[in-house]
Amino acid sequence: MPGKEDIRMSCSEFDALLSQAIDGTLAGDRLSAFEAHGRVCQLCGPLLHEAEAGRSWLKSLADVAPPDELVTNILLRTSGVASTHRQVAGKAEPTSWVARIREWANVITSPVVAMARQPRFAMSFGMAFFTLSVTLSLAGVKLSDLRHMDLRPSAIRRSYYETSGRVVKYYENIRFVYEIESRVRQFKEAAAPAEQPSEQQNNNDRKNKTKNDTSGQPEQKQERNYSREGNQPVFAASLPVNRGPELARLWRAGSPEPTVVSVTTYRRFS
Amino acid sequence: MEDAHVAALLVRRCVAGDAAAWEEIVQRYHRRIYNLCYRFAGSADDAQDLTQEVFIRMYRTLNSYDVGRGAFMTWITTLTRNLLVDHFRKTKHDRLTDSLDATASDHEDAMPLGERIPDGGPAPDAGVQSRETKETVHQALQRLSPELREAVILRDLQDMDYREIATVLKVPEGTVKSRINRGRAELARLLQRTYRQVM
Repeated sequence: MPGKEDIRMSCSEFDALLSQAIDGTLAGDRLSAFEAHGRVCQLCGPLLHEAEAGRSWLKSLADVAPPDELVTNILLRTSGVASTHRQVAGKAEPTSWVARIREWANVITSPVVAMARQPRFAMSFGMAFFTLSVTLSLAGVKLSDLRHMDLRPSAIRRSYYETSGRVVKYYENIRFVYEIESRVRQFKEAAAPAEQPSEQQNNNDRKNKTKNDTSGQPEQKQERNYSREGNQPVFAASLPVNRGPELARLWRAGSPEPTVVSVTTYRRFS
Repeated sequence: MEDAHVAALLVRRCVAGDAAAWEEIVQRYHRRIYNLCYRFAGSADDAQDLTQEVFIRMYRTLNSYDVGRGAFMTWITTLTRNLLVDHFRKTKHDRLTDSLDATASDHEDAMPLGERIPDGGPAPDAGVQSRETKETVHQALQRLSPELREAVILRDLQDMDYREIATVLKVPEGTVKSRINRGRAELARLLQRTYRQVM
């Protein structure tokens, strides 16, 4: 019967002794009782067989060999040294002081050299060298002249002024620059007389326009400004009656056209 | 000299700054830790990464190891197990619930795992040595729950005794035994089911 307790052992006891039975450490009466319960119980019997089978499956799994580089990687990531064996062997060998210095220098320079050997850095250095050499050759600098260079401060200052003066002179003496400058000068001279009167006229027009333009002002002010005009022509016919005949006679005597009298009005504006 | 004494001596030298002692520790224990990680995580790449992580953590916390509190092997197994649990939790969402019936490769037309087991192979209880069968057992092991898996790995693959396993898993010995029995039985059922499909 499933789960039915054997005379001498329960299922929980069977379960507790299962590991020992499989390990082979169970003996005597307890082993007999265990086996008897396993034969009778329909739950515990299969469990014993399955556990034994599972154990044999697991035992069939052999150790897996780790990758060769695992130890090296671990050492590099922890102590930072790939292996101490080579260093210990190296310490035993007697070396001269020159070799030690060279080794010490190698420790310092090797990372830099290794970095410089990378393609991107090599390409950058190459481009920088190319740019520098092209610039120097365009500037007319010869590397052979550098050895004759006087590096005293006064000499450097004198060289600077001489060079800058030479550059300015060179620039001014360039035919192209000279032609451009002379053309510009000619244009200026040609444009100057024509521009002066027109400019003056424009200024006057602008002033008058501003003065006459009263469109934006109140009506009373517009009228007042209108009457403020300086030399306004006044026809004789429009003059007051008491002076009309006198002026009409003058017109009839000689003038083909009505006489125009220029009257300047002065008003006081408050 | 006993293993525990050797380990304790190595640890003392390593804590004192002896790089050779640390290398000796790595040489002695890396294979065991790698296998533990491989059987639990299931993948060689993960096992390699995890093994390195274990040693990095060990290197940092080596001075916290107390010889009087237990064997060095138990200490590093606990360390490894904690890391594996962390890893399991982290990869929980990413993990594929791989089935023995499912295809093991990315190709849709690949044969199911059950069909790739050779028909004419020896009986399961005879101890099959073929590479394919070992792979099948390894994949069946991955289908066990983490609690059962770690128990059977520590017992049947790492040959630790129940007390050490109880210390590592921080559970009573009775629970350890129960988990081992259930883990073994579950594994056998999975494999029997697989072979029954083939036959």
